[in-house]
Formats: sequence, structure tokens, C-alpha cells
Amino acid sequence: MTEPILCVRDLCVDYATPNGLSRAVKNVTFDISAGEVLGLAGESGSGKSTVAFAIARLHRPPAFITGGSITLAGTDVLALKDRDLRAWRWRDLSVVLQSAMNALNPVLRVSAQFADMFKAHGIRDKADIRARTGELLQMVGIKADRMDDYPHQFSGGMRQRIVIAMALALRPKLVVMDEPTTALDVVVQRELLEEVAALRHKLGFAVLFITHDLALMSQFCDRVGVMLRGQLIELSTPTAMISGPQQDYTRRLWASIPPLHPKPGETLVRMKETPQ
Amino acid sequence: MNGLPELGTRPVLEARGLSMHFGSFCALDSADFCLYAGRALALVGESGSGKSTCAKLLTHVLSASAGHIFHAGRDVTKLMGRKAVLDYRAAVQMVFQDPFAALNPAHTVDHHLTRPLALHRPDLSAAQRRDAVADLLRAVDLDPAITRHKYPHEMSGGQRQRVNLARALAVNPSVVIADEPTSMLDVSIRLSVLDTFRDLKRERGIAMLYITHDIATARYVAEETAVIFRGRIVERGPTAQVIDNPRHPYTRLLLAAVPEVGSPFGAGNSLASLAAQVRESCEAPGTLREVTPGHWVRFAA
Ligand SMILES: Nc1ncnc2c1ncn2[C@@H]1O[C@H](COP(=O)(O)OP(=O)(O)OP(=O)(O)O)[C@@H](O)[C@H]1O
Ligand SMILES: Nc1ncnc2c1ncn2[C@@H]1O[C@H](COP(=O)(O)OP(=O)(O)OP(=O)(O)O)[C@@H](O)[C@H]1O
Ligand SMILES: [Mg+2]
Ligand SMILES: [Mg+2]
Repeated sequence: MTEPILCVRDLCVDYATPNGLSRAVKNVTFDISAGEVLGLAGESGSGKSTVAFAIARLHRPPAFITGGSITLAGTDVLALKDRDLRAWRWRDLSVVLQSAMNALNPVLRVSAQFADMFKAHGIRDKADIRARTGELLQMVGIKADRMDDYPHQFSGGMRQRIVIAMALALRPKLVVMDEPTTALDVVVQRELLEEVAALRHKLGFAVLFITHDLALMSQFCDRVGVMLRGQLIELSTPTAMISGPQQDYTRRLWASIPPLHPKPGETLVRMKETPQ
Repeated sequence: MNGLPELGTRPVLEARGLSMHFGSFCALDSADFCLYAGRALALVGESGSGKSTCAKLLTHVLSASAGHIFHAGRDVTKLMGRKAVLDYRAAVQMVFQDPFAALNPAHTVDHHLTRPLALHRPDLSAAQRRDAVADLLRAVDLDPAITRHKYPHEMSGGQRQRVNLARALAVNPSVVIADEPTSMLDVSIRLSVLDTFRDLKRERGIAMLYITHDIATARYVAEETAVIFRGRIVERGPTAQVIDNPRHPYTRLLLAAVPEVGSPFGAGNSLASLAAQVRESCEAPGTLREVTPGHWVRFAA
């Protein structure tokens, strides 16, 4: 693998709660190489989104980064001033969140939302912006002539594809995807991720990919990390993790995937959230 | 008539020729299906195929362009008056995909459950209401002592979705429509949440519509599965039949796209061209025909 593009070292994130600080991310350390797709798996509440938010500098009180460092392409992410963040986001790092489809502005046409983002990054030529917007929409399977529609005129899945198109618009070095395809059906998910996989080879961006779907993760990611109660307990290639999981928890996680064609008598592991 | 086989019992909710047009665009084209007490129908299909539109029609968030909805034998396609709408909305409850968006961040779990109880069962005393809240939480596998005073942000997605289910159950509905209730939860949690849906549906005789992208989970919740593509039901039948013996090209594509451990993308297994082919071959409306008892497939002519 090439040089790491992202280095996360001993990251600690706390939430201020009425009962004091509660640590949601505990000394998490990992790298992502340029062009690599790294997956983060783990049960609800294990801290995946908290890690993603910290890397994207999207954490807000009551979340506080209380230790460690994050470096993206040589930039000390945690030292970025608020005024630099605007330019940094989309250009160096972009984010596709769990319910991003609801984050589109409902009263603005899709084309206007693309235009706002391009303008914020110094691209002002109207014809150029429309051409780029059309290309990006087409790339995610939406006809370019729908760019002047409003978000509510698209299905949830289509809105999510629009957000993914926006995230790739300025060719960032890292795309953080937190449950980017949960709103999509498996066919579109497959087409879209095949597309992202091809684009990342072509454009060279890296991906931090968070999903609950381990099977999907094993298909899409170069390496997979498993989080449990704020810690990164295992990190390796999907093949290595499936054939020789280091932790009992990891083994059970893989065994909880409902198979399409269960074998007679096969019992699935039923896991429950950690009580809180 | 594209109806389900007679079960001897009357459906709780029935859609007949249910259609929805947005301008010239047809989001749902003449859907026929029935929901029965204690049973679930899974509605599976691609994004934008009309699943949520169908849910919105059944819950009277949208009104149908054509077709009819029957609830307990009564035509409820058009509801007259505020009371009729409120009563119907109580009987036909919705559980949404995003467990966070559906809960008010400013209120505790207790508040979320007490309110519908107070509206629906004004006869209960404060103490009885407290017990009822505890019962509801236990029914969805949450510990009342721990959960009752939590705010939505203090809970995981799975726990929030259990609270949403409890809230739906609070008004004692005859129908629950769950629109991708577990798609935002991790796979490991999904099954235990779906177990809860399945058990409650049986125990309380609730008729359920389970909308999902995840056809692999349909088997665990729904006796019957309907596959919808571009607003049309293309295949419908007993869930095991549909999954193990799919007949429609779109159903086959859907099954081929279900993520599978150990087959990485890019190893000559691209589905993009197959998907394009299937989409093209399904342009014509065709007609539904029964291929084996209860198993209906849409054929081109
Ligand atoms: N605003 C908050 N205040 C207090 N605790 C919080 C807050 N947000 C998250 N937490 C806690 O931090 C922990 C990690 O949450 P996080 O959202 O990162 O988990 P996740 O792995 O992304 O879960 P999911 O799969 O459900 O999205 C959880 O225990 C959660 O309860
Ligand atoms: N208010 C509206 N105006 C115009 N078109 C609409 C409207 N609501 C939905 N549509 C269109 O109807 C179609 C069906 O949308 P619907 O939300 O029912 O899909 P879905 O099957 O629930 O998709 P998803 O799985 O992505 O949630 C889509 O093509 C969508 O663009
Ligand atoms: Mg999360
Ligand atoms: Mg929907």
C-alpha cells in the first residue's frame, strides 16, 4: 500500500452528560492509504459515527475530542480554524451521512444546491456549473434533466445518490461515508458502490466506509475495522477476518448475518445492543 | 382478479387497484394486496419504486389517484370529517425508517409513550398510564427502569426503533405499516428487532406491512412477499417461494444483488449491465398470472 493519506492516532472522544464525561471513542488508531477503502463495522452505539464526525470536524458539544491526533494529507485536522474548514470540506474531505438525503435543502432546486457548493469553492461560470452538475448526476444514475427538480420530487434513494454525487464533485482526497446506502435498495446500492469503487481507482480518493452490513463491507472494503464500546478491537482484510477472527465478538458478528437461503436447522446468532 | 388466495378470514386492510400519479408520472400502478390479522406482507423493491407512496396512501398522508382501500370491510378511500381521520390514523400506525427523526429530541421516552396513551385511553389514571408505559417498553424488549427517562439522543438506533414500535402499539392499532424499520440498524441488531416485530404481530393479531430493501430479512417477518418495480407489483407469493424460486427477472436481479460474504466487487461480477438489461425488459406493464397456488408473476403479455 501507498503512504497513508489519513492518520488517526489515539483518538479519544467524550460526551458531556448530566452524569459527567462519558467516553465514546477510546484510543482509536488507524491509517487509511491513498485510494484505499477502509470499513468500520460494529453494533449501534459502538462509536463509528463519533469517529467519522471527529475526522470530518463535524462534532459539536456535547461531544469533545479529548485526546489524540488526526492528520489528513499532512494537515492537522484538529488544528484547522473555523474559517479554513469551509474550504477544506468538500475539497479535501467530503461527507455522506446516514440521513444525508434529509439534509438537502427542501426549498432549493438540486441544481441550486450544486451551484452553491461550486461557488463556495471559486467555480462561478454558470454553464460550467450546469455541465458539471449534469455529469455528476448521470454518474450516480440520475438523468441530468432532473437537476432543476426539488428534493421532495425524488425518492429517498435518489436523494441519497444526489448527495453522493455532491460529495465527489470537488475530487476530495477522502470521502467519509456513514451508512451511505442504507436508504437504497440492494440493486442500486450495488451499482452505486461498483461505481464508487471504479471512480476511486480512476480519481484516487480514499473512503472511510461505515455500514451495518458486514457482507457488503466484505465486498467493498480493502480492510475492515470492528468497533466495540468505543474501541477498535480488530482491523484486517475481510478475508483474514472471516477465516480467522481474532475476537469472539467478531466471530459472532459475522454469524449474525441473515443468509438469503438458510440451511435447515441452522441457527443464527441473535445479538442485542449493549445495555446503556 | 389478482387477489390473494382466500384464507377464510377477511383481510384487515385491502388495497384494490391502488394508484398514485404525480402529474403525468405514475408512482404506484394499480396495486392489489391484502393484509391479514397476525400476518405480515413484505413489500420489497428498488428505491423509487413506490413503496413509501403506498404506505402514505394507506395512512392517508396522500390520497389515491385511483383505486380503493378497505379497512375491516369498510371503504376508507375517502375519509369524511376529522374524527374519522383520527380514528383511522390510530388504527393504522406507521413506524418509519429513521428512528431518530421520528422522535422529538426535547422529550423523554416516557413522554413519547404517555401522550398517545392519554389521547387514546383517557380512562386511565396516572398510575395506570405509568404501568401501561412500562408494559409497552417490556413488550418491545426494553427495560422500563433504564429506558423510561432517556432522551432520544441517549439511545442507540435499535433502542430508538423499539421505542417507535412501542409508541405505535400504544394506541392498540389493527395495522402496523413499517417503512424500512431496520435499514438504519446494524445487521446484528436487525434480527432481534425484527423478532420483536414478528412476535408482537402474532401475539396482538396485528396486520403488518413490512417495507424493506432487504429481501433476506423478509423470511424472518413476513409470510408473504410482494416485489415491486417501478410502481408495479411484479411478483407476489409465499416468502420462501419468492426467495427460493423467483420467477420474475427483477426478483432474480434483486436476489443476485444481496450482499454476500466473500465475493468482492470487481472480480468480473458486475451487476450493472444485467441491471440495465432487466430495467429495459420491464418497460411494458404486462399482466399478473398465478404460476403456483398463491404465487403470482407479472408476464410481458
Ligand atoms: N449527544 C450525545 N450525548 C451523549 N452520548 C452520546 C451522544 N451521541 C452519541 N452518544 C453516545 O456515544 C456512543 C457512540 O455513538 P455513535 O453514534 O458514534 O455510535 P455508532 O456506532 O455510530 O452507532 P449507530 O450504528 O447506531 O449509528 C453511544 O454510546 C451513544 O449513546
Ligand atoms: N410529492 C411527489 N412529487 C413528485 N414525485 C414524487 C413525489 N413523491 C414521490 N415521488 C416519486 O414517486 C416515486 C416513488 O417514490 P417512493 O418514495 O414511493 O419510493 P420508495 O419505493 O419508497 O423508494 P425508497 O426505497 O428510495 O424510499 C419516485 O420516483 C419519486 O420521485
Ligand atoms: Mg452511527
Ligand atoms: Mg421509501
